[in-house]
Amino acid sequence: MAITDAGVMYGLLAVGAGLATGLAGIGAGVGEQGIGAAVVGVVAEEPGFLGKGLFLMLLPETLIIFGLAVSLILMFAWSPFAALL
Amino acid sequence: MPVLRLPKFGKPVKYAYITGRVRAMKTKLIPNEMYARMLNMDIPEIARYLEETQYKEEIDALAKDYSGAELIEHATFANLAKTYRKLLEVSIDEPQFLILEYLRRWDIWNIKTILRGKFYGASDSEIMKYIVPAGELDREFLEGLAKKDSINDVIAAFEGTDFAEALSKYDGKFLASVENALDKLYYFRMERAVGGTLSVGGGLLLKYVRREIDIKNLITLFRMNKAGIEASIVQENLIPGGKLGEELSRMAGQPYADFVRGLEGYPFWSAISDVATADLDGVSRIEARLKAYLIRYAWSLSNYHPLSILPVLGYIVTKETEVANIRKIVRGKEAGLPNELIEEQMVVA
Repeated sequence: MAITDAGVMYGLLAVGAGLATGLAGIGAGVGEQGIGAAVVGVVAEEPGFLGKGLFLMLLPETLIIFGLAVSLILMFAWSPFAALL
Repeated sequence: MPVLRLPKFGKPVKYAYITGRVRAMKTKLIPNEMYARMLNMDIPEIARYLEETQYKEEIDALAKDYSGAELIEHATFANLAKTYRKLLEVSIDEPQFLILEYLRRWDIWNIKTILRGKFYGASDSEIMKYIVPAGELDREFLEGLAKKDSINDVIAAFEGTDFAEALSKYDGKFLASVENALDKLYYFRMERAVGGTLSVGGGLLLKYVRREIDIKNLITLFRMNKAGIEASIVQENLIPGGKLGEELSRMAGQPYADFVRGLEGYPFWSAISDVATADLDGVSRIEARLKAYLIRYAWSLSNYHPLSILPVLGYIVTKETEVANIRKIVRGKEAGLPNELIEEQMVVA
């Protein structure tokens, strides 16, 4: 069955965009849990490590930006309403 | 008896906190090059240096009751017990279970100390000097034991526990058989608690402990083969459960030169190759080298398994060695031993 309805197509695009950001967020979270725990452990002994530790903790966060970029491209690259404008 | 049963999923993360913490704690240990400098200090200077390190609290607290070598001995043991208790307090589920399982060795140490103290008629305050309440048995319980009148009273206090059978080996004349039985009991209990499970962390603990048993047996072999003791008696003193158990037990009672030659090719040989010669007069130097090898082994294994029990074990062993080194220096100084002799006994990994 071919999807011809532009509205349905746009809806699917929105779902894809949501998944891209959402899954990237979950992945970053999984990556951060270990780093976060380890950083808290080190900072408990060595408070001066906090700055470096925070930086390391935020590294997986950068992955979300890729997800977000993909979402934005999906949402704005094509729109069924473009022809109406 | 608790047995480890935990799901396999999501385990390494449980270790992230404790391994991060012990790695930070490791940086606070006394660096190896300090030992050479401590050898050239006198005892009050060493105490002053220790005040600048993690021992500050204990030195300050105990300074009003003791001084000189006594102060350092008390402070180091107090700090050791405190550090180990802290490791137990800051860890959860599997890591905590495994750390406690490993620290039970201090229960054995304390029971042995009390038995020895009672055997030679030491007072309870004197016995308590050498107690390290880092295992399951706490200070109050051990103090109660130290206050008992005789060895048999101490043994009776363990009625109905795991220790009872090992302690029943006491024949009233020698402690050696009881001490051996206690050592074997420690490893047997660890195997029983951790061995039957599929847990990865438990497997790594056992892997390290098996190597530790080998090294202990090897030291026994060095001592007894050097003294030319009969094979059957040597074998009785070996701890079962090591990885090289059978090979080492075959070496029991061999002539010393053959025994040393037979060790070539084992992983620990490179650590002792330059000191293990046939005409060696004492084994203390080999003992120190083998212990240093064990510490390096724990840390190098923990590079392969960064989120596991191994960094914690590495820290526990390194800390114990540090305390032993400080005590060796202080006692050696007090007895007026030459620096070379003290240095020979020290374990520097």
